[in-house]
Amino acid sequence: MSQDRAIRRLVRRETHASRATESILTAGVLAAVFLWLALETVLALLQESPLLASPERLGRWLAGVPANTLPAGLVAAGAGLAVLGLVLLAAATTPGRRSRHAMQSGRSAVVVDHEVIASAVSRRARLTAGLAPGQVTTTVGQRAVRVQVRPTSGVSVDRNAIGAAVEGELAAYSLDRRIAPTIHIMREGVLGQ
Amino acid sequence: MSHTNRALNRILLALAGLVLLAAGAATAAAGMLPDVAGGWAAAGSSLMDQAGTILASAPLPGPARSWWAVAGVAVLVLAAGLSIAWLASQGGGRTSRVGQESDGGRGTTVVETGLVSAAVKQALDGNRQVLGASVSAWETRGDTGLRLRLQARQGASPREIADTADELVQGIDALLGHPLPVLVRITSGTRTKVAGPQRAR
Repeated sequence: MSQDRAIRRLVRRETHASRATESILTAGVLAAVFLWLALETVLALLQESPLLASPERLGRWLAGVPANTLPAGLVAAGAGLAVLGLVLLAAATTPGRRSRHAMQSGRSAVVVDHEVIASAVSRRARLTAGLAPGQVTTTVGQRAVRVQVRPTSGVSVDRNAIGAAVEGELAAYSLDRRIAPTIHIMREGVLGQ
Repeated sequence: MSHTNRALNRILLALAGLVLLAAGAATAAAGMLPDVAGGWAAAGSSLMDQAGTILASAPLPGPARSWWAVAGVAVLVLAAGLSIAWLASQGGGRTSRVGQESDGGRGTTVVETGLVSAAVKQALDGNRQVLGASVSAWETRGDTGLRLRLQARQGASPREIADTADELVQGIDALLGHPLPVLVRITSGTRTKVAGPQRAR
């Protein structure tokens, strides 16, 4: 049972973002600001000249911001700050799924990239329809697979056969969540293959 | 498989986001409502005056002049230290050792990742579906975990590669003598694009 939980944990950590980049950026900015404020305070206490602004000047400036700035500028600055805050909130609350799927396996945690699935599905569809490389492109999402077929001019392709082959291919992967394929056959074909 | 504390990351990011959102809302409100702007200026100047009286309330001989100023610097330095600790807590946990066993004081046997890596590479030699493999070891909860990264050839079936990986893992289990948690990652990379698709046999 604990083996199962360990595997689920591994899969979850591999398929979801850790938010390390956002954290590193935020922590770096916070550390820089705090260190700068501390340095300015020490410089002011020692009555040395400030780096950018002494704490007292900073405080006066902050208190005077509404009086010294155009209202439109205040609104714009406030909107900018709010958007930045929303971005951080979104990073904190959205699941942050990466473009990877988990495959069922008895022994280990297996995670496969969407790109690999797309390329295998393309190959299967291409072999089924007897097309040349490059005539089938596949996009894999979290819940859907879109197979786009560009037939050879004058030769019709069997949509049902491609659909069945793609379904069978996806079923063989036993992915953790079912992804439904849609087959899209383009009206314009390519010449002489 | 790194040691990044993801819950902590999200909590701290949410806090930072809320603070920024509140500051943005206050600034925008000051721009739109004159009452808020007036309140801001009044609160700001009264806070500045209070800071002055507080600084004067605990005088300290010497250049620092006030205990409160020293305390302020200490708080700022502490906050900077906590930020740096958050920064440093990202990642980590990778190890070069797959296993370690001590034999009652007579000696210690260490199995390095390189051994498993070499075995995996040898087992995959000549495999048409897998273009490259890398093995790394990570400290997971109370155990060492293996991370096996396989680079798939263009068009290679993930199922076949997963089955190959299962065989590899069985081999690793037999080699090491006790099962480790294993994460298999099937990816595409530069070699996938360069090597091209497999021709029909």
